[in-house]
Amino acid sequence: MEMRSFSDYLRSVDDAAFLNLFNARPDLITPVPSDIASLAVRACSAPSLARAIDSLNQWQFQVLEAAASINEPFTEKEVVALTEKEAKAALSHLVMIGLIYPSDDGMRLPTQLREVIGAEPAGLGPASMAKLKLSELKDAPADAQKVLERLMWGPPRGSVGDIKNPGPGVAWLLEKKFLVPLDQRTVILTREVAIQLRGGKIHKERFVNQPKLSGNKRDERQVNLAAIANVSTVLRWVEELLNFWADEPADALRAGGLGVRDLKVVSAHLGVDESCTAFIAELAYLASLVSIDGDERILPSSKFDIWLMQSPADRWQMLASQWLITSRVSGLVGRVDAKNVAALGPELDRVNAARVRALTLDLLRENPGIAPEWNSFKELLLWRAPVRRNSSLQEELAEWTLREAEWLGITGQGAISKFGLEFLNGDDLNSINEDLPKTVDHILIQSDNTAIAPGPLEHEISQALAMMAEIESRGGATVYRFTEATIRRALDHGKTGDEIKTFLAKRSKTPMPQPLEYLIADVAKKHGKLRVGNTSSFIRCEDTALISQIMNDKKLELLSLRRIAPEVVICDMDATDAMRVLREAGYLPAGESANGMILTGPKSNRSVAKPRPPRIIGEIETPTPEVISAAIRVLRTGEKSTHRQSKLRQVASEALGQLPRTTANETMEILNQFIIDEKTLSIGYADNNGGVTHRIIDPIRISAGALIARDHATGEVQSFRIPRITGVAPL
Amino acid sequence: MSDGPLIVQSDKTLLLDIDHPMSVECRRAIAPFAELERSPEHIHTYRLTPLGLWNARAAGHDAEQVIDTLIKYSRYAVPHSILIDVAETMSRYGRLRLEMDPVHGLILVTTDTAVLEEVIRAKKIAPLLGARIDAETITVLPSQRGQIKQSLLRLGWPAEDFAGYVDGQAHEINLLQKDWKIRPYQELAAEGFWHGGSGVVVLPCGAGKTIVGAAAMAHAKATTLILVTNTVAARQWRDELLKRTSLNEDEIGEYSGAKKEIRPVTIATYQVMTKKKNGVYAHLDLFDSYDWGLIIYDEVHLLPAPIFRFTADIQSRRRLGLTATLVREDGMEGEVFSLIGPKRFDVPWKEIEAQGYIAPAECIEVRVNLTETERLAYATAEPENRYRNCATTRTKRDVVEALVEKHVDDQVLVIGQYIDQLDELSEVLGAPLIKGETPVKEREILFNKFRTGEIKCLVVSKVANFSIDLPDATIAIQVSGAFGSRQEEAQRLGRILRPKSDGRGAKFYSVISRDTIDQDFAQNRQRFLAEQGYSYKIIDADDVFQGKI
Repeated sequence: MEMRSFSDYLRSVDDAAFLNLFNARPDLITPVPSDIASLAVRACSAPSLARAIDSLNQWQFQVLEAAASINEPFTEKEVVALTEKEAKAALSHLVMIGLIYPSDDGMRLPTQLREVIGAEPAGLGPASMAKLKLSELKDAPADAQKVLERLMWGPPRGSVGDIKNPGPGVAWLLEKKFLVPLDQRTVILTREVAIQLRGGKIHKERFVNQPKLSGNKRDERQVNLAAIANVSTVLRWVEELLNFWADEPADALRAGGLGVRDLKVVSAHLGVDESCTAFIAELAYLASLVSIDGDERILPSSKFDIWLMQSPADRWQMLASQWLITSRVSGLVGRVDAKNVAALGPELDRVNAARVRALTLDLLRENPGIAPEWNSFKELLLWRAPVRRNSSLQEELAEWTLREAEWLGITGQGAISKFGLEFLNGDDLNSINEDLPKTVDHILIQSDNTAIAPGPLEHEISQALAMMAEIESRGGATVYRFTEATIRRALDHGKTGDEIKTFLAKRSKTPMPQPLEYLIADVAKKHGKLRVGNTSSFIRCEDTALISQIMNDKKLELLSLRRIAPEVVICDMDATDAMRVLREAGYLPAGESANGMILTGPKSNRSVAKPRPPRIIGEIETPTPEVISAAIRVLRTGEKSTHRQSKLRQVASEALGQLPRTTANETMEILNQFIIDEKTLSIGYADNNGGVTHRIIDPIRISAGALIARDHATGEVQSFRIPRITGVAPL
Repeated sequence: MSDGPLIVQSDKTLLLDIDHPMSVECRRAIAPFAELERSPEHIHTYRLTPLGLWNARAAGHDAEQVIDTLIKYSRYAVPHSILIDVAETMSRYGRLRLEMDPVHGLILVTTDTAVLEEVIRAKKIAPLLGARIDAETITVLPSQRGQIKQSLLRLGWPAEDFAGYVDGQAHEINLLQKDWKIRPYQELAAEGFWHGGSGVVVLPCGAGKTIVGAAAMAHAKATTLILVTNTVAARQWRDELLKRTSLNEDEIGEYSGAKKEIRPVTIATYQVMTKKKNGVYAHLDLFDSYDWGLIIYDEVHLLPAPIFRFTADIQSRRRLGLTATLVREDGMEGEVFSLIGPKRFDVPWKEIEAQGYIAPAECIEVRVNLTETERLAYATAEPENRYRNCATTRTKRDVVEALVEKHVDDQVLVIGQYIDQLDELSEVLGAPLIKGETPVKEREILFNKFRTGEIKCLVVSKVANFSIDLPDATIAIQVSGAFGSRQEEAQRLGRILRPKSDGRGAKFYSVISRDTIDQDFAQNRQRFLAEQGYSYKIIDADDVFQGKI
């Protein structure tokens, strides 16, 4: 069987090769294509190729660039000559993932690959059309030498004042055809010359081997100690944040997410900076511990209560596993150049976030016991994932991942911890439960009105304490401070002074200091002296006998009166209704204004709302003469162009007869073939209105889902959306 | 995980469990670099601050020692961020050094050219510098030695001062320990200062700071200028020096509003130094009138701002600061650090108390209920008069009376802020009053009588806050204060903290009006005193009348 195209190649390989291919490029089988032809089309499509290229390391990419700079078909030897002998292994990897395929006459690249890599791989210009005498390069005059030096490492294009009147150096090079004119002002260095100048290699430096990661050596025990401290801290942060929102829910922004002001409030409460706060908030959001309700309030969800009951290891696992796979990037919040990106908001997704995160963690995992030095880490990262498609933020993403991994305790002192390893390996995380400091069930109260929990407190105790005291310092221990305001808060929550005292006495290992006891008693005594409530109207009368009478009047029962002072009664009905009922019962009430004046005379009501008269819906206003004449001009112009087009179409369809019809895969295959062969085609093309027209075209290339081709009818280069091409046929 | 006595919190506070067997050892280890913030009965709180860490660097500790100490005593894992922060902060000290070069004079030398480049570009620094010598060295205008240290500290790059001191004119001074003995901590303090060159010694009131000063003078054996807060303090310094050292009356001069004596040892008041005549400081010449070998600043935390400015100009002389607290209400702790010097010695009050050098004190807050009329008057008072209104209520008088009566056998001081209130109290109690306008002569007579026990009760205004020595006051009753200022509190407590001959405990009453801002200020006071480790009680005025206390 003749093997020339990529689909021919695919038809020839065995199952093992498919297995490798699909492992490396899972997008090829999501969804599973119907046949090999459509598989080949998908594998050769620009997005899929770009994805495959993303998975290459720097060395593999260099080899691919080298392959792309040779005319097809090419041999392994040619590539090795342009790079290093290690290229063989890289080439077979490239073949394995379908970026290069063998054909009968040598190796080839899928048609669109050059498109994806870019027109000038490794800064090389086009191959020369003419026969070049490369040996003459040695004798280039000084001026020409200078030009060559400028262009040899790319970009290969240079601008000249006027192509017809170039400087002596450029003139010499143009004459020798080493330089080729592109347009009036641009020249380009031909590929052969550049390679010759580069010493027969494509790249100045060939990064065959992965760079070594340098950094600080860390002691394993210290790493794990630091990591477990981080684990307990992050759990505490999340719990505190959600408890805070349970008390005072934050309002979501109209555009979604947490406002800067609320972020600041929370950050002050937690005592961490805003980027860390954003991270904690996102962490809780990812684990669905927090939700945004119908009133746009940010609140802990019911899942939070379940989460609280779990063991520390499970709680941590829930946070870390969501963080690992999310595409959301909390590091974006509050950056100087993007102030408005909000935590919990809709703008945090980045397609490459999870990929960079996974890569960063891989690199940490490959280098245990080392807290990477950032520059070295960056270099390694660049080798493993050279910056290409969706490369934006790659460095920042990696930096944030390192930071977040430390916050989470995946690392400790910057190096991967045993918890991190267990987590990434999918192992049991029981060690977290074992290594976390044991909870304590007591506090130490001191006479400066502070209480100290000398370790993590049991959940119920810390909840109760948080209600009656302010947290002053956090860490391994917690320092609580009692003030009048915090005691009042506990009283507001329905505790009595005695309950507070009993609770503290029971939980404290030290005797209760007298000043605190005094404080609690003092606040409890004053609490609730002033009473506040809602009511609609009041009835007052200096004659207490009359008040007693209306209180006992059966006819007034529907007013549900309540006597709050000897001379004052309140009522749930509004004043007008209350007066009506009183009058019906035979009393003689008078209205009273807000400042105590008697209101007499008939009350004529006025609306408090601003008047909003209904809008007039009627005839369209007469347009001005200018508007009319402009409209006519537009109409006339449109008409002219339609007329011209239909005339052209008519000519084309007369020449062509029947519209060609092919399936999508056939279309792609034929197009690819004709691009290589540079032959004229006839296609059916659907226009904006769905009408299908016949075009005669010279295909040039396929790019971004469109066919770039010269339309014979207009003589212009035009792009045709591939999905709109109903069929192709050779002419 | 060790079971150490220390818990390192993420907000850079250190909690020390003092009931832990290792707590004493741990306290010694962390004291050089952490500032004691409060020391109530069970857990003491220390704080890591840049100044504290730099103080430690100045005392020769490095970041590694600090980190090791934290890890060694910590009960839980120390947050990594804190370790990084400690190392980072400490490495900032000493990258810049002030040195004396035989050729170029005063120079700023660095071990890190990037830092030097950064600071010489700073707007505040550039005018203080002279010619660049090489990449690591630049000359500094000799007159700007103090200024540049101040500015560098503000930039966060404190310079180490190796430029040395002038010896000053030699003058023989010795301690005469005939009928008394210098206490071990006083000796340590003086030595700590001497080896450090310049710096501050922090000792509680009543712990004998004057003797530390005398010991430092005996080390220097040179002419000395002593700056004190007021004339009474100046006289007391003179008396102490005559008693404790080989100096005689002719060798000690007083430079105050009343006298202008300049002698080998001169004691000057802040007030006279900061007095302006026609808009200029008239007595600045004093700094140059002798080739002083040592300058002592009493009560550094009260040092007025102009004195800082003069101090900046005399950086080549040895400077000793004495104080009970480094806390300044005006937040000028950085100035003290850069101009006078780092902390060279400190020891918490409780420790000296435990050694029996100062009397244990008990603090009692007496809450007074206002009468209906007084409550109404308070509620309607203008905001600026409110404190005065509630601090001087009539009801307090009865309580004070009852307290004085109760302590009829003790030496009692009644302290207040407002003169009319004190006048009234003086009349009611039949006790003499010392206020600002009382002539110094009369003051001394009264103080002497109080000392001998001829007078049992004395009413004093805020003039008594500073540097007077009332050896046998066992009871202090505070009726009004300066809005609960912390240093005032330390001063007042210091009044009664001198060791008592019979070992009786001292009592510090403060009488406050319930449910007013007086009570809010009292909360600050309670916090401060309890943080210092004093026992603190709150009682109602009725308890006093019923004799329940």
